[in-house]
Amino acid sequence: MLRKTTSAKVPRNLLFLFEILALLLLFVYQKDELDKFTFITGIGLILVIYISNFILLKVSTGDNYIFLIVTMLISIGIIMIYRIDPGLGLRQLIWISLSILIFFLTYFILKKIKGWENWIKLYAIGSYTLFLLTFILGSRTKGAINWIRIGRFGFQPAEIIKLLLIFLISAYYTNFEKFKEKKYSSYYLMLVVYSFIGLLFLQKDLGTALIFYLIFIALQYIYEEDRKLILYNIVLFSMGGILGYFMFNHVKIRFETWIDPWKYIDRQGYQITQSLFAIAEGGFFGSGLGLGYPDFIPEVHTDFIFSAICEEMGIFTGIGIIMLFLILVYRGFKIAMNQENQFFKIAALGISILFGIQSFIIFGGVLKMIPLTGITIPFVSYGGTSMLSSFIALGILQVASEELDMEEIKDESTE
Amino acid sequence: MNQQSKRMIVVLVSICLMFVSLIVYISYFQIFKAEKIKNNSYNKRLWINEESILRGSIIDRNGKILAYSEKQDNLYKRHYNYGSLYSHIIGYSYREYGKTGLELQYNNALLNINENAAINEIKNIVAPSSEGNTLKLTIDHGLQEKARALLKGKKGSIVAMNPKTGEVYAMVSMPDFDVTNLKENWKQIVEDTNSPLLNRATQGLYTPGSVFKVITTMAALETSNLNTKHECTGSTKIDGYVFKDYSGKAHGTLNLEDALVKSCNTYFTEKSLDIGKDKIGSMADKFMINSKIPFDLPTKSSTFPYKENLGKTDIAAASIGQGKVLVTPLNMAMIASGIASGGEIVKPILVKEIISPGGKVVKTNTTQTLSQGTDIFTANETKNMMVEVVKRGTGTGAKINNMRVAGKTGTAENPSGKSHAWFIGFAPADDPKIAVAVVLEEEGSTGGKSAAPIARDIMLYGINNFKD
Repeated sequence: MLRKTTSAKVPRNLLFLFEILALLLLFVYQKDELDKFTFITGIGLILVIYISNFILLKVSTGDNYIFLIVTMLISIGIIMIYRIDPGLGLRQLIWISLSILIFFLTYFILKKIKGWENWIKLYAIGSYTLFLLTFILGSRTKGAINWIRIGRFGFQPAEIIKLLLIFLISAYYTNFEKFKEKKYSSYYLMLVVYSFIGLLFLQKDLGTALIFYLIFIALQYIYEEDRKLILYNIVLFSMGGILGYFMFNHVKIRFETWIDPWKYIDRQGYQITQSLFAIAEGGFFGSGLGLGYPDFIPEVHTDFIFSAICEEMGIFTGIGIIMLFLILVYRGFKIAMNQENQFFKIAALGISILFGIQSFIIFGGVLKMIPLTGITIPFVSYGGTSMLSSFIALGILQVASEELDMEEIKDESTE
Repeated sequence: MNQQSKRMIVVLVSICLMFVSLIVYISYFQIFKAEKIKNNSYNKRLWINEESILRGSIIDRNGKILAYSEKQDNLYKRHYNYGSLYSHIIGYSYREYGKTGLELQYNNALLNINENAAINEIKNIVAPSSEGNTLKLTIDHGLQEKARALLKGKKGSIVAMNPKTGEVYAMVSMPDFDVTNLKENWKQIVEDTNSPLLNRATQGLYTPGSVFKVITTMAALETSNLNTKHECTGSTKIDGYVFKDYSGKAHGTLNLEDALVKSCNTYFTEKSLDIGKDKIGSMADKFMINSKIPFDLPTKSSTFPYKENLGKTDIAAASIGQGKVLVTPLNMAMIASGIASGGEIVKPILVKEIISPGGKVVKTNTTQTLSQGTDIFTANETKNMMVEVVKRGTGTGAKINNMRVAGKTGTAENPSGKSHAWFIGFAPADDPKIAVAVVLEEEGSTGGKSAAPIARDIMLYGINNFKD
């Protein structure tokens, strides 16, 4: 315990150093309109991150690195967002502070309340309710209906459904022995997940649909005993994809702009080519904070934040972010493997896969390695709901990193 | 470890591989693709300075203005004074069509901006500039006009340069296109099967035919114990393949000089086997064939793949510039220059000076030696043979009264069925002032008949008009 406390301090101080340096650059960049505002945001960021890391070390006996990795990610993200638009930067800081509070709240609630594995029906009903609300109250942005506006704030239900989906699958496979007695129970699960995917398809939220599918098939691959279901799953999804290509114009457009965006450069290929320009201009070391032109890319603060980071901080920082996610996913899997509580084991897996898949899809998308689907990078992109749900997921992972079932402890020396 | 843990590891490894593939892809993108993507005209970063900086002028060696910019309703407008004449040298700079030629290669100089964004930022604070640099070219506008007039209606290219300094006096590629009204003609220009956008002078790869014999000649001169006597019967069989002289004419008893003067194919094809492909190949290498020529405009490399496994027929064909040899007109002008200046190959120069808005010369491109092609003895001996070519051989069309002119003709067979007509040469032979390469693509006539008179006019103009 003592050794762990000191070893987590070194990276925390390095993180502190990174923030100081980046903020100094921001001050230089904003030399003409340097104001209290920037100063307060900067101090606020450092305080929030330093204090939350400090508190976590005191309260949690689990993995302290995942939170450190995440604070590094949010630091890079918010500095870039602030550079693009100071107003958004301040709002992002508020969202981060709120999300960290929610993170601790999630952590305590999950530990306090028992029986999460028994509420599978609740998760399903909750998901459908949120979908229904989206269709009734939802407004259309960027061609997708996935927003609910409450007053001044937008809210993306799909971000929360993502977590409900992970809980639903976790609850199912935790009680697999019980469900197995009923015939075709795994088919019902598949039906539910596919209904989610179908609804997302109707909302034109292709990125999230893909995430749902990949989380499902990965967990199914690990836990499903009826192996032919996995094959069905692959066949069904490929068929759906091909069918979607011919039936829905928006799927076709995504695919065509991926194959050759230069052909549609002033229309649907505009965004992706602007992203490629930005990354190409950045080179290995970047143009320097404040010296690039990230605002040439539409939606740069959310889906395309990675391109802006590559332009101004270079692809070395880009690769750094990719590697941070790699470590985060690796720690997540390690947590899952050491966890004895089956529900939290599966949930930890689901969340690690979620972080991995979601970041991969958007990194690959803005690089034109895979077709582009507009989703956020967890912890890095601007966005309230995305930040909240990511921190809730991190809270779940934090709980899962601790030894939960006291009666089942077998080996004291695993961490 | 139970089965589920094993499967978890499979999933973990898959995700790791996905991340690794991202890192590999982004590095690949940055190293191999970024450069080309950056220069796409839709990249607004290329134009961001354009709105605030007056783009510099481009002038010829005598100060004649060829291109300039001017402010019109708060926007800078680019003017090109001579329509098609400089379409392959200066190129164009338009938002809709991007940049080409020197407008692209010297974009930063013309806008007076630095490659490095951070240095620019500092420069903007210290001394904000609103006017770009002027480019002074080595081109002589008069000769450029003359060269284009000589090529009018034909396909092909002319390159004329100073053999000692490497300064390019004229460089024409036909067909060309009018840069002043791209909007109306763009579709036609792009779809034209004669590729007017291609700069044939630097990027056109042609079969050289007999002009390549100067390389073989120099290789022969540097081969000791070579029997230079030969009995020409008008045709010869090498490895089962028959090489014929032009219209099958027998030349009788020949030495090396006679062979070059009469452009005897059977002589060179037979001697090539004694000289050997490595000797010819390394001579070609020293004259910049097979290597990238550093130039102010993009170049293609001439090729003679002699290191490959070539048969006797291939070597024999290469010795007379047929078969696998392909050259650019610029390269051939450099070979002529090399022979003219005692075997030394100098770097071709197109931009002489970069001049700041205040009139100060910021950068001068000085003469640089690229390669020592051959020694002065071989060069002079070859030069004397080339003088005989013009005096009494195939190149009499390039004769100038009271002056020794050196040259070599070429009539290159190629897949189109119509031969290319070539001429390379320089004058005056004893103190060369101008070297020239002329190629008429698919002309269907001999180099001596159609290319030599054009080269003559170019050389004559140079001698009469250039002081140094």
